[in-house]
Amino acid sequence: MTSQVEPLYAINDLVIDLYAATVSVRAVDGVSLHVMPGETVAIVGESGSGKTVSTLGPLGLLPEGVTVDVRGTAKAGGKDLVGMASARLSQMRGAYFGVIFQDPISALNPMLKVGPQLAEQARRFCGLSHEAARKEAVSLLARSGIPDPEDRYNRYPHEMSGGMLQRAMIALALAARPKVLIADEPTTALDATVQAQILELIRQIQRDNDIGVILITHDIGAVASVADRVVVLYAGQVAEEGSVLDVLTSPVHPYTRGLLASVPDFRAEDRVEAHEIPGLPPNQIKLEPGCRFAERCEHVEPQCRVERPPLRTIAAPGTPHRVACPVVIRREGIAVQ
Amino acid sequence: MKSVLIKRFLLACFLIVAASALTFALVAAAPGNVAALIAERAAGPGADAEMIRKIGDELGLYDPLPLRYARWLASAATGDLGVSLRTGKPVAEEFAARIPMTAALLGGGGLIAFLLSLTLGIAGAASNGRLADRVIHGFSLVGASTPNFFVAALLVIVFSVTLGWLPTFGTSGFQSWLLPWATIALFPASVLSRVVRVNLQEAMSRPFATTGFAKGYTRSSVLLREALPNIAIPYLTTFGAQFTLMIIGSIVVETVFALRGVGAFFIDAIRFRDFVGMQSTLLLFIIFFVMTNLLVDIICMLVDPRIRRARSA
Repeated sequence: MTSQVEPLYAINDLVIDLYAATVSVRAVDGVSLHVMPGETVAIVGESGSGKTVSTLGPLGLLPEGVTVDVRGTAKAGGKDLVGMASARLSQMRGAYFGVIFQDPISALNPMLKVGPQLAEQARRFCGLSHEAARKEAVSLLARSGIPDPEDRYNRYPHEMSGGMLQRAMIALALAARPKVLIADEPTTALDATVQAQILELIRQIQRDNDIGVILITHDIGAVASVADRVVVLYAGQVAEEGSVLDVLTSPVHPYTRGLLASVPDFRAEDRVEAHEIPGLPPNQIKLEPGCRFAERCEHVEPQCRVERPPLRTIAAPGTPHRVACPVVIRREGIAVQ
Repeated sequence: MKSVLIKRFLLACFLIVAASALTFALVAAAPGNVAALIAERAAGPGADAEMIRKIGDELGLYDPLPLRYARWLASAATGDLGVSLRTGKPVAEEFAARIPMTAALLGGGGLIAFLLSLTLGIAGAASNGRLADRVIHGFSLVGASTPNFFVAALLVIVFSVTLGWLPTFGTSGFQSWLLPWATIALFPASVLSRVVRVNLQEAMSRPFATTGFAKGYTRSSVLLREALPNIAIPYLTTFGAQFTLMIIGSIVVETVFALRGVGAFFIDAIRFRDFVGMQSTLLLFIIFFVMTNLLVDIICMLVDPRIRRARSA
């Protein structure tokens, strides 16, 4: 890896507190992650683990009505998004980032035609003329695998299927030629047959445009087929990160192991029942010191409940493999760098 | 689309007939003997029973109600609404002179309510909980809970009597319309500005608004480009309802500002037990109600692509 290349989007020691009327939640607690040009990073974790909040929070893309307190840094294009003035942040969101949301049916405005929105983006951020922007939009629809793009250009969202809409959403996210594409559970709301196509499309787009992709998902299958690196989040903290090969084939953190074991293996000869992690994720309203996973962990030691486990880099070829579990590292004699 | 329109139109006609039958029965059931009233007016207090009976016979008052209704509806359909018992002139003639007055009142008031409610609602949503939002909320609360006769009196005291800027009543030019318009528009503008505000807020919390932010728009742009088109249907529906209610407001406003419109004619007809005038005005109101609602439905169909496209497909 050439160390000269700057990451496209780098979150460092990010802490995000969410305030609603009566409660506050530490949704993200000291997360660092980054995406390099031409790289796909998968962020994995269960609901509430802070996957979406950590990546979209610094962009100001959390729903209205929640007050957000962000600390740490989130650098993109040499600028820090944390504390950026809202007009500049809007500009960054449009020009530098493309976002694909989970459910295209609700994420696309029912009153707006699909095509003109794409053209508008191309005009605003790529300086294209009206006519050129329209052509670009049709071409984007075509490249996103939408048949008969000329006709679809003037269609409203309700006139297209879920799979087609997600393709349109991807086209919309790419219309401003962003550097970073954030896909927030892009296949969760889709049929199983369409899911693979959408993932393949994202991978292809990533290769064609050499952009950075952040794939937020809880689907390990998606991680294996698309991502280069994977970051496992648990209760707002990074549990483990590394190359897809390292993390999926030799996971170290007990949570990652549990997560992988909970995926049913349909190829297995004697259909063993999928493993299940006992207990529930911690309540992030009341924060305890120590490891967040301690309550559910089979390797738990008294020290785990006292001190937050540091993220340690373990010996791994190529991409660094980091694990926040000193206990397993010690017990299994894994070399630390 | 066409077949839907025909269906809606037929339904509207049926509604008009049904509602007019109901009001006809109610007017007929109202206390007071019209024949006696007319006889008294013609011959003074000494009108005898024979004369009252004769007048009643002429007016067909002793025929069965369905027959009277059928007779009335048939002549109303040909444009003959009968002769007003109060003015002695054909009601159709009265309407021809008075409808433009009421149309001007409702048209101007409706336009003000439309513009004011959108401006205030959008401004409130844009300032989202800050001072302007609260002031507008307070204004709409007061506006929606102040009766229009009180508003009229207040406006006259301030702008006509104290400041002397505007005439107290009458129809002498644009200036004289300002107070009646303001009076009649205040209530619908207040209610509608809340509708705009609340629906905008709801739209801003929907995922497509987040997509709008992701497209690089500032909050005010998302509000206008993404959220505003989505409140069209609830807004237009409520606007239609509020606009029809303005005809009720016209009764008070026309009386207070001495405008010779349909509302004033109606209240005079009630006072003089002019059941011909009453019944005809109610028919006019019913047609106004039903047709406004039909129009709003059609506009909603045209505005919402989900409905529009489904029809044409």
